[in-house]
Amino acid sequence: MVGALLASAILLISTVFVRRRGTLVPGRFQSLIELPIEWLAGVVKGTGGKRWAEFAGLVIAIFLFVLVANMIGLLPGVGVIGTVVETEHGEQELIPLVRAAAADLNFTLGLALISFVAFVAWGIRANGLGGYLKELLIAEPAYMTPLLTPIHIISELSRLISLSMRLFGNVFAGEVLLAVILSLVPLLVPIVFLGLELIFGFVQALVFALLTMTYITLAIAEHRQHGTGDAHPGEAPDHSEASPAPSRA
Amino acid sequence: MNNWGIALDLGIRLGVAVMIGFFGGLLLDGVFGTRPLLTLVGTAFGVAAAMYTIWDVARKAMRR
Repeated sequence: MVGALLASAILLISTVFVRRRGTLVPGRFQSLIELPIEWLAGVVKGTGGKRWAEFAGLVIAIFLFVLVANMIGLLPGVGVIGTVVETEHGEQELIPLVRAAAADLNFTLGLALISFVAFVAWGIRANGLGGYLKELLIAEPAYMTPLLTPIHIISELSRLISLSMRLFGNVFAGEVLLAVILSLVPLLVPIVFLGLELIFGFVQALVFALLTMTYITLAIAEHRQHGTGDAHPGEAPDHSEASPAPSRA
Repeated sequence: MNNWGIALDLGIRLGVAVMIGFFGGLLLDGVFGTRPLLTLVGTAFGVAAAMYTIWDVARKAMRR
């Protein structure tokens, strides 16, 4: 939790700094902050469809938050400085003061829930509540509903679990790997693994953000396929991205 | 980039779908005392959901 709070504080301070001291021609610190935002905004714009601007903020926020949280996990002292307590079995256990936020399932599950709520909300905005529930609960042909509804529900839930478990698994495995390598070879060799963890931290943040974007894009695209109500009256359906509606099996 | 994300996602979703079915069935077996019937049914639904996920992801990717 402390790691997540630190990441939030860093992002908030950076935001305040750029808002107050931001210039048209950015300095080094401003460029450091603007670079990932502009890059990811370009990615979202390129692949997020017509309504990319609506969810770009969420995707970029998730990316930056996970990225900073992962980077904090690699700082010296994180995960190794804390208090030693004795367990019920008489063993000594270290309770770290700060550890990598994503090495805690509560953090990743919380983020995945935000992502899940976001793409369900976009699905409901695009399809309407009735349309969304019909898509989820009623199969075509209707007599297949008892068989397909549990399958649909499990498939939807698998998104939530897979988002959270992937990030947690990667970061936790990285933390364990570093601890093992440090205990085996304390000099030089851990540098290689720290470098790898830097790359993995970036990739995992990107994957989490991109999957959130993909799920939202799919929820909106599905609405275009079905041709039901639109949350944005006046906006023409984007036929360039979606072919004429094939029937849902 | 979208397809890249989908490909990374698909593998883990297959395993997760089976696990949800299995543990869901196990939970219901505990509630209704029907062990191992609902565990088997849940696992079957989980496997079916994993297959459905592949088909669904492929279908949506082709639409786009």
